[in-house]
Amino acid sequence: MTTYAGSRRRRGRNAGIVLLFLAPSAIPLLLFTFIPMVTSLWVSLHSWNLLTPMRWVGLRNYSSLLTDGMTRAALLHTLEYIGGYLPLVYAGGLGLAVVLNRRLKGRNFFRSLYFIPVVTSWVVVALTWQWLLSPANGLVNHWLSLIGIHGPGWWASTTWAIPAVILASVWKDIGFVMVILLVGLQGVPQDLLDAARVDGASAWTRFWRITFPLLSPATYFVVVISLINGFQVFDQVYVMTGGGPNNASQTLLLDIYNQTFRYQLVGRASALSWLLFVLVMAVTVVQSRLQKRWVVYA
Amino acid sequence: MPDTSAIASSPTIASYPVVVSSIVRSVPARRHRLPARRVGLVIALSVGAVLMLFPFIWTVVTSISANGSVLSTPRLIPSHVTLAGYRQLFSSTIGVPIIRVVINSLVLALASMVLGVLSSAMAAYAFARLQFRFKNIVFVLYLATLMIPLQVLVVPLFIEMRTFHLVNSYIAVLAPTIASATGVFLIRQAIQTLPTDLDEAATIDGAGHLRIFFSIIVPNVRPALATFAVFAFMASWNNLLWPLVIINSPDHMTLPLALSMLHGEFSTQWNVVMAGSVLSIAPILLLYAFAQKYVVQGMATTGLK
Amino acid sequence: MSNRSAMRLIVPATVLALLAAACSSSHNAASTSPSSASASTPVTATSAAAASTSAPAPASAAASATAAASSSTDTEKATINYFTFSAAPDHLSDLNKIVQAFEAANPNITVKVQTAAYADYFTKLSTELAAGTAPDTFELDYQDFVNYASSGSLLSLTGNAYDPAAYTPSSLKAFSYQGSQMALPESFSDVLLFYNKTLFDKAGVAYPTSSWTWTDEMAAAKKLTNKSTGVWGLFQPVTYNEFYKALDQAGGSFLSADGTQATFNSAAGVAAANWLIGKLGTTMPTLTQIGNTPNFDTNLFTNNKLAMWINGNWQFSGLAKMPGWDVVVEPGDTQQASAVFFNGIAASKNTKHPDAALKWLQFMSASQTSVTTRVNSAWELPPITDTSSESSYLTATPPANRQAVFDSLKSPSLGPVIAKQQQMQDIVNNALQNAAAGRSTVQAALDSAATQVTALLK
Repeated sequence: MTTYAGSRRRRGRNAGIVLLFLAPSAIPLLLFTFIPMVTSLWVSLHSWNLLTPMRWVGLRNYSSLLTDGMTRAALLHTLEYIGGYLPLVYAGGLGLAVVLNRRLKGRNFFRSLYFIPVVTSWVVVALTWQWLLSPANGLVNHWLSLIGIHGPGWWASTTWAIPAVILASVWKDIGFVMVILLVGLQGVPQDLLDAARVDGASAWTRFWRITFPLLSPATYFVVVISLINGFQVFDQVYVMTGGGPNNASQTLLLDIYNQTFRYQLVGRASALSWLLFVLVMAVTVVQSRLQKRWVVYA
Repeated sequence: MPDTSAIASSPTIASYPVVVSSIVRSVPARRHRLPARRVGLVIALSVGAVLMLFPFIWTVVTSISANGSVLSTPRLIPSHVTLAGYRQLFSSTIGVPIIRVVINSLVLALASMVLGVLSSAMAAYAFARLQFRFKNIVFVLYLATLMIPLQVLVVPLFIEMRTFHLVNSYIAVLAPTIASATGVFLIRQAIQTLPTDLDEAATIDGAGHLRIFFSIIVPNVRPALATFAVFAFMASWNNLLWPLVIINSPDHMTLPLALSMLHGEFSTQWNVVMAGSVLSIAPILLLYAFAQKYVVQGMATTGLK
Repeated sequence: MSNRSAMRLIVPATVLALLAAACSSSHNAASTSPSSASASTPVTATSAAAASTSAPAPASAAASATAAASSSTDTEKATINYFTFSAAPDHLSDLNKIVQAFEAANPNITVKVQTAAYADYFTKLSTELAAGTAPDTFELDYQDFVNYASSGSLLSLTGNAYDPAAYTPSSLKAFSYQGSQMALPESFSDVLLFYNKTLFDKAGVAYPTSSWTWTDEMAAAKKLTNKSTGVWGLFQPVTYNEFYKALDQAGGSFLSADGTQATFNSAAGVAAANWLIGKLGTTMPTLTQIGNTPNFDTNLFTNNKLAMWINGNWQFSGLAKMPGWDVVVEPGDTQQASAVFFNGIAASKNTKHPDAALKWLQFMSASQTSVTTRVNSAWELPPITDTSSESSYLTATPPANRQAVFDSLKSPSLGPVIAKQQQMQDIVNNALQNAAAGRSTVQAALDSAATQVTALLK
């Protein structure tokens, strides 16, 4: 740092630089995300069916949501989803990234293959998985029966609906995590690994002592973004189970969607979104506090 | 194979002496690898690839099947091959000028990608390298934009666009996609793993922030930029809900919107829908294959000098 | 690759981005809050016009809710929007034919068609209504109709010149709200008993007739079910739509006469629910076996693994190539009742061209052109009293007994329609699933659902 750090002119220039770098993203975000967000906060204090004028209800949307059994169930299902999805997709993506970072014949080909599900629309993916996991004549239960296991009811079962959604989601997103971690792996110096190998470190040790710590910034990104997205799991549930059977796979976002566009309880849906916001924000802030202990930047 | 010697000179290693020495102490030697293990790995990868590929192959097969033969049971070999699905997709009977629609989608996705990568990279630089007050709070505010679901933002945003007189315009489709907190975060993480020595050296040489950003930071986070470019393109390319609400006329439509209209109230012509899916997957795969070169080689070719 | 070439790309892009940002921010200065802007009427009116089409604003822009009785006197040019879910993708060219004929007959009116998939349609419609940019005319199915009518979004047609005698009374009634006609019926479809003649012949069971009751139906279904060959006797979805109809067939009623109370937990309601649930695992697969498998029942029927199937006449075109099947009016229990679905077409209360909109409504719903176009292309049938144009529909095969489509109209079952329609359907669907899975008794499930539905009626 230079000795001018304290001068007013310098500070003014610095503010200009910061604004210059932030403006291209801050202005659109302000206009097209923040303003609608503030509006939705305003809407959350009203009763509104989109068709007739809004009616002020104060905090009543919030208080009724906090005691609502459906909201609690939806939250529970969402947490259940995250609990299954996040570890699986991270472990799978990490394994793939490490393997496909090796000097392997055809690795570019494999990298593209594993990325295909990421780019395929949920409508198509859902159709395939509904068939694969069809209880009566699906391939998965057929395979299970070959090894003597009676497959579960998947979509038709209140116990197995969420695991079925998790399975399909992990399958689809594994390529996304792989790509992020592959980028992270490019930052792991090969000669450091080579040196360790010369020193006799096993692949296992090299991975946990060198690769994994150096991947922590990418891991941190994956965890934060997956949690933010996981709390908002929607597309796959909407197209595969519709929240059923018996609301057993009803998630928070599905609830919000139903309330907005099917039940037209827009104020209530906005209030639920803001409760979700508080929850996700809390989780994110806790993570950003904790990251100082485990994320290693160069 | 990328040459990793450039990275070898990176100061990153220097910051990890502890790691190296701990390895030296703890592990016995074991050098040579069995080729059989490598073969096994390729076999495992191939099995996984088949699982990954299954829906895609099925999509392609369905798209070249006759409509009636499609939905009985999913099959991977079409009974009789026909391009009727594609012909119908490109014909006028579906009521959508499909070529125009693809061009719309391409232009919007490319614009969103270029603007998104640039705006995100610049903000990422500010968060990673510049000192300013409330930096952490501002960063959390950025992340906050990801935390309110689009479903409840659509109506307020639509009303806002109406007051701007932008309903049924390309700008209205593009506007919400030109900045992304995900991109800022991803690229910030990449910049933070870069050693600061280079910037400091450049500062001493009299380089300003803009020059440091464009000539030092950008080349060195190319893998992250390429990755986010793919995601930004994809997000715009696949977006359905917002274009559905804001676009009215067929000549302004985007591909997902046009494809959604292939689903009838009671029945769906799956061969046409799947032909549309193939059409929508292809450009992203091409872009990804192209971007991948940067993901792998970016660091190596630019190097840190 | 050099850094300079990257710069070449990025610098102009930066300029662009900043420019774009600057432009948008100046717009923003005009209105800080979107919700406050929507309150100011002049802005709403002009932007609505700008948003919808390039329609020239007419001098008499002040559209009143009850537009003056018909008139062929207005000569000003008008462009009206028509938003539809039933045309895409299969009948767009048919719709275009109707639009062209309308424009030829009314040279001053242009109709702009907007389509959306049924699954997305109401999302878009309600957003546009919320923003005050609703299309001039749009389609509504009768189940969602009341929500829009009760919210005052629709133009009242009462007092306007349309010919009530042209439409069947039940179809007109489906689109009237509190004594006012709020939309014109444009099409109907109904639910029939489909049966596979080959399977009946093989099992030596006589074909169903219109005089059958549940007892005959169930007896035949049991004879036709053959689990060793994988053939099922009778498939009926366990859903709200099937339930309210079965309730009608069993002589019950869904709501009390004054519409303030749910009464479907009566003895007839339990009988109806048992009728649906009792088939699971006996004459059709269980819900677990069905899972969420796409097109499960259609595949069973087309693969000759299903003898009887409760479904709608919209399946005809999909089954056109399959031999050996026919339809019959669905059997009832204590009385006959067939589910009939109506689509209607309404005008927005805020349309600037109420006269043009009304003309289009009439033309689309009951003109000779639209009737023959619909009949010839097997689009849904128009619910009109003059059935002389429908002969070509009746003579087409399969199925041979297309007359059943019209016979079913004699005892139509229209489900209850309330403002909170979607919530009511979800509650009933849930109760049926609960009872089907044995998580609660049929009576308990219906009691709990009835309490919830009654609460929605307040």
